[in-house]
Amino acid sequence: MEIGLGHYLAVAAVLFTIGVFGIFVNRKNVIILLMSVELILLSVNVNLVAFSAFLGDLAGQVFALFVLTVAAAEAAVGLAILVVYFRNRGDISVEGVNLMKG
Amino acid sequence: MTADMLSQDLSLLIPELLLAGGAMALLMLGVFMKGEGANKLVQWLAVVLLAGAGLASLFLVTGEGQAFDGGFIFDGLARFSKVAIGVVAAIALLLAMPYLKAEKLGKIEYSVLMTLAVTGMFMMVSANDLISMYMGIELQSLSLYVLAAFNRDSLRASEAGLKYFVLGALSSGLLLYGSSLVYGFAGATGFNEIAIAVQSGPSVGLTFGLVFVICGLAFKVSAAPFHMWTPDVYEGAPTPVTAFFATAPKMAAIVLLARVLIEPFGGMVEQWRDVIWIVAVLSMGIGAFGALTQTNIKRLMAYSSISNMGYALVAIASASQTGLWALLVYMILYMIGVIGSFGAILSMRTREGMVEQISDLAGIAQRNPGLGWSITALMFSIGGLPFMVGFFGKFFVVFAAVQEGMLILAVLAVLFSVVGAAYYLRVVKTVWFDEGEVEFVPAAVSVYWVTRLAGLATVLLLPVIGWLVFRAYSVGLATL
Amino acid sequence: MAPIIVFGPLLASAFAGLFGNYIGHRAAQIVTTATVVLSAILSWIVFFDVTMGGNTYTIQVLQWMSVGDFDVSWAIKIDNLSAVMLVVVNTVSSLVHIYSWGYMSHDPHRARFFSYLSLFTFAMLALVTADNFLQLFFGWEGVGLASYLLIGFWYKKKSANDAAIKAFVTNRVGDFGFALGIMAIFSVFGSVNFETVFSAISNNELVTVAGSTLAVPAQDAALSFFGMSFNAIELIAFLLFIGAMGKSAQFFLHVWLPDAMEGPTPVSALIHAATMVTAGVFLVCRSFEIYELAPAASAVVTVIGAITALFAATVGLAQNDIKRVVAYSTCSQLGYMFFAAGLGLYSAAMFHLFTHAFFKALLFLGCGAVIHGLHDEQDMRKMGGLYKMMPMTWVLMLIGTLALTGVGLPPFTLFGMELGGFGFAGFYSKDMIIEEAFMMGQEGLFFGLPAFWIGVVAALLTSFYSWRLIFMTFHGSFRGKQDDYDHAHDSNWVMTGPLVLLAIGAVFAGAFFKDSFVGKDAFNFWGDALPAGPYAEGNYPEYADGYPGTSEYADVAHATDDHAAPTSDAASDDHATDTHADAGHGEAVADAGHGDEEHHGGHHPPAWVLWAPFIVTWTGFFAAIWFYLVKEGMGARIAARGGPLHSFLSNKWYFDEIYHFIFVRGAKGLGDLFWKIGDVRIIDGWGPNGVAGTTLAFAKRMAKAQSGYLYHYAFVMLIGVVGLLLWAQVSAGGQ
Repeated sequence: MEIGLGHYLAVAAVLFTIGVFGIFVNRKNVIILLMSVELILLSVNVNLVAFSAFLGDLAGQVFALFVLTVAAAEAAVGLAILVVYFRNRGDISVEGVNLMKG
Repeated sequence: MTADMLSQDLSLLIPELLLAGGAMALLMLGVFMKGEGANKLVQWLAVVLLAGAGLASLFLVTGEGQAFDGGFIFDGLARFSKVAIGVVAAIALLLAMPYLKAEKLGKIEYSVLMTLAVTGMFMMVSANDLISMYMGIELQSLSLYVLAAFNRDSLRASEAGLKYFVLGALSSGLLLYGSSLVYGFAGATGFNEIAIAVQSGPSVGLTFGLVFVICGLAFKVSAAPFHMWTPDVYEGAPTPVTAFFATAPKMAAIVLLARVLIEPFGGMVEQWRDVIWIVAVLSMGIGAFGALTQTNIKRLMAYSSISNMGYALVAIASASQTGLWALLVYMILYMIGVIGSFGAILSMRTREGMVEQISDLAGIAQRNPGLGWSITALMFSIGGLPFMVGFFGKFFVVFAAVQEGMLILAVLAVLFSVVGAAYYLRVVKTVWFDEGEVEFVPAAVSVYWVTRLAGLATVLLLPVIGWLVFRAYSVGLATL
Repeated sequence: MAPIIVFGPLLASAFAGLFGNYIGHRAAQIVTTATVVLSAILSWIVFFDVTMGGNTYTIQVLQWMSVGDFDVSWAIKIDNLSAVMLVVVNTVSSLVHIYSWGYMSHDPHRARFFSYLSLFTFAMLALVTADNFLQLFFGWEGVGLASYLLIGFWYKKKSANDAAIKAFVTNRVGDFGFALGIMAIFSVFGSVNFETVFSAISNNELVTVAGSTLAVPAQDAALSFFGMSFNAIELIAFLLFIGAMGKSAQFFLHVWLPDAMEGPTPVSALIHAATMVTAGVFLVCRSFEIYELAPAASAVVTVIGAITALFAATVGLAQNDIKRVVAYSTCSQLGYMFFAAGLGLYSAAMFHLFTHAFFKALLFLGCGAVIHGLHDEQDMRKMGGLYKMMPMTWVLMLIGTLALTGVGLPPFTLFGMELGGFGFAGFYSKDMIIEEAFMMGQEGLFFGLPAFWIGVVAALLTSFYSWRLIFMTFHGSFRGKQDDYDHAHDSNWVMTGPLVLLAIGAVFAGAFFKDSFVGKDAFNFWGDALPAGPYAEGNYPEYADGYPGTSEYADVAHATDDHAAPTSDAASDDHATDTHADAGHGEAVADAGHGDEEHHGGHHPPAWVLWAPFIVTWTGFFAAIWFYLVKEGMGARIAARGGPLHSFLSNKWYFDEIYHFIFVRGAKGLGDLFWKIGDVRIIDGWGPNGVAGTTLAFAKRMAKAQSGYLYHYAFVMLIGVVGLLLWAQVSAGGQ
């Protein structure tokens, strides 16, 4: 069986779905949210690279590189905010993050 | 690529270069200068930089066109938006200065982050490629995440930052996923090429990609159902940050959304119009109804901004020149009203500190008539009550919708504005008729003048609006 | 001159009302009073100019509205009728203004009071100088408004507010009829201008009723109303009279007048005695051309007028509030005027209006002086013996009462000398109405004789309650607190002066103006404005000759003349046995006539008719003496025993209760029904409150959805993405 574009897209879609679900099914740890976000971004990268290869167009791979870079920056910012939050709250459970509502 | 071409391309990027270089310079300045004076200097330089970048796009950028192989575009839309964003960001920073000083948050990073965020916004409104669009959005968003949590010692602020970050990252993921689909099915990332691909007929993949992109951008403009972060973040973030959130990023995101929908995906109007229709109605409705039970004025402003973005989306849904024109007028009037309102909110400082409850405004018109009148004018204007300028903003939007035959949308827009009027009037009623004795300390000069001038502008701009109506009327006659 | 008369008070009113706070009370009083006094002097000049010189004219001030065929100007019409009214209104008004200086001297809102008074004066002047129905309606509503404001002047008193509202609402009923009448006039004649309408009626011109294309003679025009067809003129006359009933407090719509006494006493004198309430009489006289051709409507006017005259007089017997007695008396006298007008005795009605203005204003202001002197005590049961403390007021009130009861001596011949024929003002005017009513009855007018008898009985009652008022107030022993008695005093000259002037009018107005209003000068006096009346026409037809426009009346007079004498004789024979008067006098007077007209066949009622009012007046007087002086306290004992008749009378025939039961309670019940079911349940329930409730419930639910949890927010976003994807697919698939 030859692995084609469809398979890559399917994997990416599954990864994306796992990532999205990770954000709202997980109720324990904010770190897991950050991981889920990474997962989403990586699924996008799979998509981009697969399309790039399929189309024979470099733009997708360039895009993927940008996404990787941004993802790194995003993770850094995210972790920094998490640290600030932890310092104030002393806890990083997702269920605790509901001071403001209504 | 010759040096000639490069300099030509770069000439279109003067404002962005100014901002990016300026941000770096300010950072260096802040790092190597010590003391309170450094912060002050950096803040003022940032104000000049922001306003200068806006004005630079008006005066220094002479030509219009695309740069870097179609990745960047500078046209009338971009010019207009950049001026507006630059100026409003400068005003937001002016509003922030006394607050930061009083709350002991005076760090140079604030100014630098704002400058970087505005750089991102400039990129957004000039984006002509999925990659530059994404980079612009991320530059803006990452700065804003940090700004939201800028008050590191406040649990609320850090929670706001956390929520904003997580959901913002999710929305970035949606946007990116959509972008990857669009890239795959259109075969290119440039908007020009996508437009050509769309002309040859929409595919399911493109439609899917487009909807994901719309969802990602809808989050940035805080349109329902991607609005959930807005009230919490607005409430938790430091007030001047909220003021900034409610104005410049909204402008950048809505212009970007309009550009994406009308330029590359202009051929798929039939597909996306229904989606925008739903999002617009949900935003107007949720904004109007959600505000009714609010007691915190910053949350109220959040719902107000959700609902106002709904109206902006109505203008986009009409997908016409009139609609685009109405969108820009509407956004300008909206920003005037919002920045003035936040000026008023920033004036709500007692001896003990900031207060944010609507009830704290009770009877303020008696003790501080200037503030009372300003709040009244601003609330009437954002609420779209006749005959403040805000009314005409909504009027043009509805007019554009009617022109395109979207009668149901127009009627819903009017109905929701009636519901919305209730809570704006509630604030005005509190200001004038309730009993209260909360004494505010005198507002700082910048806050004072921003509030008063914005309040005055809601009335004084009427002749300009009249002139616009006249122009629109005569243009309409010419085309007939 | 005429514009100054009419608009002067308006300017003064605006000045006093708007700047009263700045210029002070005194300045406001001076401005308004001076203006109205000036108006009064000018209107006397106009009066003599018009009635002696025949100088009538109409000034078009400005075009008011012009819509299609509907064209109305604001005009000042000066003719004989309006000249009389100008004199009455401005004279009484100026005297009341002066009187109020004293009466209201302690009120903190004097500027407002004088502003209202002048406003009223202006509205009344606009009413009487109108040359079309619409301006008349404007004045009509204007006086209604001023009346409302003045009755409720002491707005902190609940009873005053209630009375003001009652007056306003009751008048609305009448005004509705009046407005319908004006609409009917316009739809028939295409104009509301007096001249156009009246000449169309009397010349029987062809008119085209709105909605039809056929031109018919005016007198045969028909209007359909609720599917029934009516003679247009009858319908118009009837509708106009409904308006007049409301304004002039006639039976069924009289309930507001007694309550209106809650207002300050000068107001009662000006508005609720002398001027506004006579507007209805004025309206009927002004439109006499319509009523002459509307026998059925005229009969209604007569019946209502007569019933009112009797009814109000009976109620007046049992009232204890001094002002209410006078109020019911006013009501009753207005009844006289109406039945006179209904019988076609327009000049007599106007004559009585004229004299009544003097003596009724005098009585009211006298009551005011008493009330003022007793520190706002209005209950006659707490008065008595006051003639010692207030001799001046006592004398003036006596004059007023003599004028009201019509004391005088009918003409008779004794030992070859012609004696009598003189008396107080009321003697001339009221007796004239009674006599002429009898004569109209003789001529075959159906309601003539009943009206005559009712007039006589009402005169008896009038005499009784008037003297009862005097005796209870000024004679006997004082029944209030001794302290009040000791401090009782005559008023100062600011208040007494106007009373004296009015008293002069009450004494001499009748004698002086009798010939002009109803006697031999009446043809000249009224000109085109009113028919001179059967008395003048019957007795002095030669004066009608050579006077333009009266030949038709002269013809009528001659025609009636032919059969007047025999029927008059027959009547005197028929009634000779059961009359109060000596028939012998009747013969004598019938033969002698009125002295100077015996050379003509004349137009004489039998002597007993002339003497009947005389007899009943004195009967009433002596009865009052018996009840209230000789057997002092008998009246009170009767009241205390509270027989059914007494309670019936003192409760004003239970009119208020009946109206309360039928209208107020009915309306409240209906209102409650609409409110509780219609408004609260249906409109509010489904409408505002329902929407508001749903909105709030929705908003609360949304607030709950905004849970603060990240995963909820993310979930909503996911739902949004999936929903929008599906929606995009569905809507795309649909294409």
